[in-house]
Amino acid sequence: MSTNILLPRPHRILAINQETEHEYTFRVESGAAAKHGQFYQLSLPKIGEAPISVSAMGDGWLEFTIRKVGKLTSEVFRLRPGDRLFMRGPYGKPFPIDDFKHGDLVVIAGGTGVAPVRSTLRYFYEHPEEIKEVYFLAGFRDEGSILFRADLERFKARFHTIYTLDRDRVDGFETGLVTRHLGRIPFSTLTRYHVIIVGPPVMMHHTALKCLEYGVPEEKIWVSFERRMSCAVGKCGHCKINETYVCLEGPVFNYTKAKELWD
Amino acid sequence: MNHDLDIKKLRNHCYRQSKVPGEFMLQMRAPGGVIEARYLSLVQHIADTWGNGLFHLGMRQTLSIPGIKYEDIPAVNRYIKQYIQEIEVDLCGVDMEVTEEGYPAIGARNIMACIGNIHCIKANINTTALARKLERVIYPSPYHIKISVAGCPNDCAKGHFNDFGIIGLAKTEYDYDRCIGCKKCIEACAKHATGVLSMENGKIVKDTCCCVGCGECALVCPTGAWTRNPTKFYRVLIGGRTGKQTPRMGKLFLNWVTEEVVLRVIKNWEDFSAEVLEHKPVYLHGGHLIDRAGYNRFKEMILKGVQLNPEAMVAQRILWTETEYRSNFNVRPVNGVRAEG
Amino acid sequence: MGYSLSYGRMNEILKELQQNYRVYAPRRWAGRGRYSDTDLIRYGEIAAVEEVVHDEKSDFSPKEIIFPITQPLFYFTEDEYRESRVDDQGLLIFARPCDINGIRRLDTMFLKNGDSEDSYYRRLRDKARFVLMECGTGWDTCFCVSMGSNRTSDYSLAVRFLPDHLLVEVRDEAFKRYFSQEREVEFTPEFVTSNPRTVRLPEIDSSGLLRKVYDLEMWKEYNSRCQSCGACTAACITCSCFTTSDLIYNENARVGERRRVWASCLHEDFTAMAGGLGFRATPGERLRFRTLHKVYDYKARFKEEQMCVGCGRCDDRCPEFISFATIINRLSDEVERLKKEASQEVAGQ
Repeated sequence: MSTNILLPRPHRILAINQETEHEYTFRVESGAAAKHGQFYQLSLPKIGEAPISVSAMGDGWLEFTIRKVGKLTSEVFRLRPGDRLFMRGPYGKPFPIDDFKHGDLVVIAGGTGVAPVRSTLRYFYEHPEEIKEVYFLAGFRDEGSILFRADLERFKARFHTIYTLDRDRVDGFETGLVTRHLGRIPFSTLTRYHVIIVGPPVMMHHTALKCLEYGVPEEKIWVSFERRMSCAVGKCGHCKINETYVCLEGPVFNYTKAKELWD
Repeated sequence: MNHDLDIKKLRNHCYRQSKVPGEFMLQMRAPGGVIEARYLSLVQHIADTWGNGLFHLGMRQTLSIPGIKYEDIPAVNRYIKQYIQEIEVDLCGVDMEVTEEGYPAIGARNIMACIGNIHCIKANINTTALARKLERVIYPSPYHIKISVAGCPNDCAKGHFNDFGIIGLAKTEYDYDRCIGCKKCIEACAKHATGVLSMENGKIVKDTCCCVGCGECALVCPTGAWTRNPTKFYRVLIGGRTGKQTPRMGKLFLNWVTEEVVLRVIKNWEDFSAEVLEHKPVYLHGGHLIDRAGYNRFKEMILKGVQLNPEAMVAQRILWTETEYRSNFNVRPVNGVRAEG
Repeated sequence: MGYSLSYGRMNEILKELQQNYRVYAPRRWAGRGRYSDTDLIRYGEIAAVEEVVHDEKSDFSPKEIIFPITQPLFYFTEDEYRESRVDDQGLLIFARPCDINGIRRLDTMFLKNGDSEDSYYRRLRDKARFVLMECGTGWDTCFCVSMGSNRTSDYSLAVRFLPDHLLVEVRDEAFKRYFSQEREVEFTPEFVTSNPRTVRLPEIDSSGLLRKVYDLEMWKEYNSRCQSCGACTAACITCSCFTTSDLIYNENARVGERRRVWASCLHEDFTAMAGGLGFRATPGERLRFRTLHKVYDYKARFKEEQMCVGCGRCDDRCPEFISFATIINRLSDEVERLKKEASQEVAGQ
C-alpha cells in the first residue's frame, strides 16, 4: 500500500488577520520547510481543497491569504485562533532564492499576486545583507483591495517601492497599472539581477513584454502561475498546460519556459 | 353529369365533395403517417388514372387524391381494396371486413403522429407502432375521434389540437454514482423544458412534480447517469380542437400512464360518444362532447374498467381556455329557445 | 495453454472465480441508451458468461472499475480525515486490447506522473486482472492499429466466444487451477491487424510549430459544432482527469465526505477558479487541448507512446458527429502544410 498523498493534516491556527473586506490571512502552526513561492492544498470546509500560496513564513508558522469569494463561502472564515485547519503540502517549485542572493531583485506584483511574492520580500527585508537593491512595484485595483498594508509600509524603509492603484487616487499610492510605472525601475543600470512578475495572466503577459522591451533578458524573469487544481500532485489534470503540470513544474516558471505555456 | 349524388354517403366512404360538381377527393388512411414508400406508386396510379394528377399531403396525414369523378369511384374502390386490406387489417390488425365499397367509415379520423423514435433522436416512443395499435381500437367507428401521437412533449404532432393528444414520455432515472456533476442536464432542462433540475452537493436533484418527461437529461448526459426507464409512459391531452367558433388547446387529462391505459381509455371513447350523442354519430369535436357531459361524467366513463398504473396522475378538473370567436358560447337559453327581443 | 469448454462449464468456473474476484464485463442495459429504444453497453458485474456483450463495442470503457466515476477519498469529522476503504475481492475484467493498453496510460498518469503514487488508483489497480476479449474484425470507428494498441500480452486469460463453446487461453499461472478439468486445445487469441480507419499522427517537432498549431483556423470550426458535453472524455479509456469536492453531511458539525468525480477538459468550468478567472473559453480551444493531450503532450512528457489508443469510443459517443480520428488526420495535414511553408520560407530567404 502506497502512502496516501491526498491526506490532509490538522494545523492549529495561531492568528487571523483581515486584510481587506474579502481577504484574510491565516497564520498556522507548522514546522514544515516550505520554500518561497510554494503552495499548500488547504481544506476549506464546504468547498473542498484549494491551492493557496504561502504568503509568509516564520519559525514554526506559515501564513496563507484566502479570498472570500463566490456564492459558496467557506466555513473557514468562521474559524478562530486555536481552531484547526487541515492542509497538505508544500507543493511546487519555489523561487530560486539562492540565485537571487547578492544581486538586485525587481518584484512586480499585481493584486493577489502579492501573496506568493510576499515571503520572498520578507526574507530579503529580514536579510538585507543577502541582497543588493530590491525594487518592489505593487499594483492593486483600488483602495479596498490593498493587501499586507503593514508590510508595504515596512518595505519602504529598505526597498525602492512603487505602489499604485488602477483607479483610485490615494496618498502614498500612484495611479494606473503597474506597466505605467515600469519605466521608473532603472533596468539599464542593473547588471546582476532577477525580475519576479506575479499577478493576473494579462498583467503578467504585458509586464513581461514590457520588461523585454527594457532589455531584460528572458532568463532573468520569473513568474508564478495560478491555476485550478484538485490534487496538486500531478493527477487531476486541471492545471496542465501543454505537457506541463503547473503543480509539478510550477507554479514558479522561468520566462523562457513560461512564454511557451499557452492556454 | 349525374346531379343526384348522396354526398353524405360518399363522405362516409372517405370521399370529400369538391367545388367542381361531380368530383371528389379520396382520403386514404395512413395511421401514424408512416407506410412503406412503395404505396406511393399506388397513389400516383389513382391520381393519374382517375384523379386530376395532383396529390395532397392531407392535413391529418391522409394520402389525398383530388379530382376523382363520381362515376369512377367504384373502380377506385376496387383498386384500393388491397391497400385497405394491407394497411388496416394486415398492418394494424383492424377487425373489419374489406369489401369493394372502399373505406367503411370516416368517423374515426386518420391517426396522426410525428415520425417518433423510428427516426427522431428526441422521441421517447415508437409513435408509428402506437398509432397502429390505436387504429385497431378506433376503426372503423362511425363516431368522430381525432387522435394525434407525439414522440415527446415537444408535440410536433400537435396533440394539443386534437380530441386526444398522446405524448410519449421518458421517465428518466438517475444513477448518483455515475453523475459527475457537470450540470449539462441542468442547462438542458432549463433551456428545453421546465428547469426542474438543480445542483446539491455536487450532484443533481430533481423536482419530480414538474418534470415533463422529455428525456433531454438522458440525451445530454455524458456518463449515462441519466437513463430512460425502459417502460414507456404517456401523457394524454383532451379536448383540443380547431374550428370557427371556439378553437382551444387541449388540456392535461392523464400523466405518466402506460400504453395499456392509453389503449383502454381510447377504447371507451365510442361508448362515451354514443351516450352523449344518444347513439347518433354526428360530427362534433370531442371537446364539445366532454363539455356536454361535463368533465366529471367524461372522466367516469372514459376510465371505466381502466386499471391505472401506480405512477398515473389524473386531472381533478380542467380549466379550459377557449378562443371564443362566437361569444357566450357556453350560455344556453333556459327552455332551449332563445326569447324574442 | 488453451482449453475448450462449454458455456455451462465456464459458468461453473465463473462461480469459483467469484469467490475471489468481482468479475466485470461489458453488459447490456436494455433501453438505457442515449436515444429511446436503444441499449446501453457498459461495464457491470456478471452472473453468467452469456451476459458478456462480446460482439459489440461498449459505450463506456472499463476504466470506471479502477477509476470510479465517483470515488470517496475521505470521511471527515472536525478531528480527522479517515481514508475510504475497499474490500479484498480481486477484480477480473473482460477487456479488449485497446482498453488494456489504455489502462497502461492510466497507470502512467496515476502512478508515474509527479514523484508520488495515487494510492486510491493503486489499491484498485493492484487487484485487477484481465480477461482478453478478441475483437474479430473490429468496428468502423476503431483505429487501434494506427495507435499500435491492437495487441497486448498483459492479460491473465483470453477468451474466444464461439456459438456453442468457448476457447480460453490461460496465461497467468494463478488461474491454471480453475481449468485443470478442461479439455486442452491449441488456442492463442488473434488480434485485429487492420482497421477500416487509419490515422496519421502529427509530427510536431518544434515549439514554433506547436505555436502555429495552437493558432490553426481548424479549431474555430468546432466552436459551432462541439457542444462541450464531455461525452468523448467520459467514454475515453485514457481520460484521467478528476475534480475533488467536499460533501457536508451536517453543516454545523462539519462532518462529511471528500470525494472525486471524473472531470472533462471539454467542460467550460474545467479551468475556472474562484476569482472568476479561467482559460480556454471556446469549445474549439478546449477540443484543441484534448486533441493535443491525446496525440502530442502526453508523448512529449512520457516519451514511450501516444495517449490515445484508438478505441474510437469518442467518435461513437459524440452526439454532434465530430470524429476525433478525422481531427487527428486534419491536424496532421495542417502540420505537414505548416512544415512545407516553413521550409519554403527558409529556401526563399
